[in-house]
Amino acid sequence: MRDDYTSELGHGLKWAYLLGIVGALLAPVFYVIYISFNEFGFGARIYVFTVDWYRVVLGDKMLVASLEWTIYLALAAVATAVPMGLLSAKLYKKTRYKVAIVTLMLAPLFVPADIMASSLLVFFRHLNGIFELIGEALGWAWLTHWFELGFFTALVGQILYTLPYAFVVILITMSRYHPQQTEAARSCGATAWQAFWHVEFPQIRAGVFSACAFVVILSFNEATRTALLKGGFDTFSNVLVSQMLNVGMSEESYAMAGIMSIGAMTVIGSILIYTLVRSERLEREARAKAEPVMST
Amino acid sequence: MSAQPDTAVEVDGLSKNYGPVAALSSVSFSIESGQYFVLLGPSGGGKTTLLRLIGGFIRPSRGRVLLHGRDVGDEPPNRRPTSMVFQSYALFPHMSVERNVAYGLKLRKMAAPEIGRRVARMLELVGLAGYEARMPHELSGGQQQRVQLARSLVLESDILLLDEPLASLDAKLRKDMCLELKHIQEKVGITFIHVTHNQEEAMTIADRIAIIADGRLVEEGTARDVYERPRRRFTAEFIGDNNLLHGTVSAIAAEPGGRVKVDLGYAEVAVDATVAEGTDVAAGDAVSLSVRSELVELVAPGGAEDGARQTVPATYLEEVYLGLTTSHLVRLPDGSEVAVRRISEGGDAAPPAPGQEVRIGWKTPSARLHVE
Repeated sequence: MRDDYTSELGHGLKWAYLLGIVGALLAPVFYVIYISFNEFGFGARIYVFTVDWYRVVLGDKMLVASLEWTIYLALAAVATAVPMGLLSAKLYKKTRYKVAIVTLMLAPLFVPADIMASSLLVFFRHLNGIFELIGEALGWAWLTHWFELGFFTALVGQILYTLPYAFVVILITMSRYHPQQTEAARSCGATAWQAFWHVEFPQIRAGVFSACAFVVILSFNEATRTALLKGGFDTFSNVLVSQMLNVGMSEESYAMAGIMSIGAMTVIGSILIYTLVRSERLEREARAKAEPVMST
Repeated sequence: MSAQPDTAVEVDGLSKNYGPVAALSSVSFSIESGQYFVLLGPSGGGKTTLLRLIGGFIRPSRGRVLLHGRDVGDEPPNRRPTSMVFQSYALFPHMSVERNVAYGLKLRKMAAPEIGRRVARMLELVGLAGYEARMPHELSGGQQQRVQLARSLVLESDILLLDEPLASLDAKLRKDMCLELKHIQEKVGITFIHVTHNQEEAMTIADRIAIIADGRLVEEGTARDVYERPRRRFTAEFIGDNNLLHGTVSAIAAEPGGRVKVDLGYAEVAVDATVAEGTDVAAGDAVSLSVRSELVELVAPGGAEDGARQTVPATYLEEVYLGLTTSHLVRLPDGSEVAVRRISEGGDAAPPAPGQEVRIGWKTPSARLHVE
């Protein structure tokens, strides 16, 4: 925001600083993408553009399978963590115990990923043991494999990781919503669900969709929790990390990193562009209509 | 349609507690169909709580709400024959004016042409025809409140609840909207229950006024009743510009139509027994007298002292010009101040000098007696 007394130089320097910081942070990402399109990979003296490494990655059954697992995990996390985040944000708005809700919701952020993952691993192992004992005692075989490591346990880890972010993103959008509008809708004859769906949701939709995008990106970003909790499948990040640890960065690794970076930037960029274009359009429409309004 | 009982709203022993705090304590009253009923009182007195209990937005801790004779205690807002206009922020910002007004009708699955007709008629009624495509943020505060009104009225609910609907408007707009509300209510003929802390607003529109303070119903009556004949001391203090004088009952006339005498400490004044009717007082009781400032006058030196008028000594303090009226402030011997209000006229005689000893007086029936 500028005012008439802001110095042109100072204003320019602030923008230069901001762009410099963002550029410095993103430079390595763009460099990795740049290398991923080089036929001769990292460190080569010559640069020949190719998409072959991407073809190799997408032709590798194990990598494609890991990509599929990651997508399933991300979708399941979206389907679970986003509604939970939404409900928690609604509870936060209503309750008197706001500090308690925020503390509970954000607590997982303050536990290091390794600690959280190993704790969950131990917890699930013990829980599995307890269920096996109960199953054996009662003769109920169907109880015995509930908490074996697999998709479900990886999903729990993923939910614990992504829920705080979903909660915060939705809460920020919800803070601008006035609950009188829900009451007004009820007063017009709407049920609680209709009031939410017709009146509240359209106003917090941006936050909910942002939370979905965030959870998807976080799911692609996560390696530690899934590595310990996943059981018999691999996610894209797990494969990438294990490749880097075992054989170092290969041309395929660069292509995998490129896929993830391009995917994430496309999602975030699309949301940003859509939001900016929409807000610009609404403002233009409002200006066009507002001209003849007379105060009464 | 079957004939509805005359009583639109009956509130019976209604209480609402939030933990140890009593927001509303055992309030009972009834409102006739087609009345413009105003809940008036200071902020935090429980008016909005009472309105929200009637609308079904909160559950009572005790007591009942009957709408047209039906106990609606367990019914949510969408199943009550009420609709509500809120103080502010209640228009749906992502919907145009037309969609806002049509919302309730769409929920009722009414045919689109009929919805269009009703919305157009209602926007015409509130003076917003031609504004259908506007978004709420493109409207002024007054226009937004009219859209809210149209959105509620179009539902043809039997009872309209208005929660300080004019509070966010400037003084001029509030005055205009007040009259418009009254005219609209007369046109549609449904029951309006209007919450406000503004007594001028209440007097302008109300058929009946209920004074609510500290979670209790203080007094109820027509605008004229509560202004001219307040039964409770709180009402006298809250409504109009009343002067309060404190004293003890010194004598009560035995004969019917006699007078109650009150010793103010520096003078003894009489109050008509008819004024004290219903007030259970005995000699020695501490009481208050209220006299509206426009009924008090500065008594000219040597002015007639007769039984029809009560006078007390005072010291003149100052004149305050208020435009339409001019207030003359005097101090009584017990230190309390009294205002004497007059219509400002060009040829007003010069007021007494500050510090000058004067007498003030009022016609005996003008004073009201209140038990402490």
